[in-house]
Amino acid sequence: MFLRNYWYVAALDEEVRDRPLGRTILGEPVVLFRTADGALHAFEDRCPHRRLPLSMGKIVDDVLQCHYHGLRFAGSGLCVRVPGQDHIPQNARVRTYPVVARYRWIWIWMGDPALADPAQICDFHWLSDPDWGAKPSYLHVEANWQLIVDNLLDLTHLAFVHETTIGNMALVEHAAVKVQRAPNNVLVTRWIVDQPAPPTFVKVGKFTGNVDRWQIIDYTPPAFLRLDVGACPTGTGAPEGRRVGGIGMRNLNAITPETETTSHYFWGQAHDFEPHNAAMTERVFEQIKTAFLEDVAVFTAQQRMISLKPDAPQVDINADAGGIQARRIVDRLYREEQAAAAAHATAAE
Amino acid sequence: MAVNFRVELIWKESGDKEAASIFLTSDGRVILQGRGVSAEERDKLALPRDAELISVDRNLIRAIKDML
Ligand code: FES
Ligand SMILES: [Fe+2]
Repeated sequence: MFLRNYWYVAALDEEVRDRPLGRTILGEPVVLFRTADGALHAFEDRCPHRRLPLSMGKIVDDVLQCHYHGLRFAGSGLCVRVPGQDHIPQNARVRTYPVVARYRWIWIWMGDPALADPAQICDFHWLSDPDWGAKPSYLHVEANWQLIVDNLLDLTHLAFVHETTIGNMALVEHAAVKVQRAPNNVLVTRWIVDQPAPPTFVKVGKFTGNVDRWQIIDYTPPAFLRLDVGACPTGTGAPEGRRVGGIGMRNLNAITPETETTSHYFWGQAHDFEPHNAAMTERVFEQIKTAFLEDVAVFTAQQRMISLKPDAPQVDINADAGGIQARRIVDRLYREEQAAAAAHATAAE
Repeated sequence: MAVNFRVELIWKESGDKEAASIFLTSDGRVILQGRGVSAEERDKLALPRDAELISVDRNLIRAIKDML
């Protein structure tokens, strides 16, 4: 199940240069490239001649040339040259997709192009904001996109999956979590008030006493998860919204379905302390990456079990609340999108 | 290893209308937030005298339908 009328991250900005990049998105092959003037393009990655992936071709004079017989396609998707003949068949054209570069990521719109409005791109400014240090990254994952959403909305797995990295039992034992569900958003909030700071926080935050610590997970469909974590000295008013003298980080996740069982996982870690210290950015990133790979091992293994028997039953527990609410939203949006598409098709008849 | 997880569910409509909380507790209960029903109200509305009654917002009913 894919939601189509949304902006998805297609690539890291640095991946799309003057060489075509092929990537399957929502089950459709796409080729991304930039021309010399910096303009971004996204085409269907299938030559209309003999269906070779156009991503095997190259950019020649600002147009994309197919590797097989050299047909050339301009930014509009229209064929502008057929080697050996003057006549260009009318249907020699490829589908184009709206693309935008923002927050060091390349965003693509796979749905109805008439609905593509870049103002709807989910806010990930921390990745490109000078007040933050940040490093974006990409990983190909052998798991359905919703398994990754479930994982990020879930806090109790920290004690088990991340036992040796970021997790500890205190984080989940006697935990009180707030799950707020708006029509198109889930917010999971957790405060740990007046407790010692974890060692990693002490190192960068230079805390001398107890801290108020927060974990706030913002889910925006289809698969954007922005985690706001940090700590401030106890009693300075962080739970009331006054964050002073502390540290903050954002764990930023954008998951793009590749197929029903594989995903493109774009993520990044941003920090507000020593934002211009590249070594700090790297250190923070590496720390999170270790935990991140522990999660990847979990959802790829889940996917293997699910693929073996898709209808095997599963049970829910209280801690699933965030993930369950997110899936309810996706189900509703999917029904709405299907209904709108059906109405559109009927009107067109 | 016991994990006692208490979840508070809050449902919000498009505006800023928020429903009262639903609590899922580790002993398997669902606890709703409402207001006690006074003796005068019980008399006036012909409600049971000794049961523990709470009156809840209609939004909370929508929240229960939507979230549970
Ligand atoms: S397959 Fe592309 S030019 Fe022939
Ligand atoms: Fe995790």
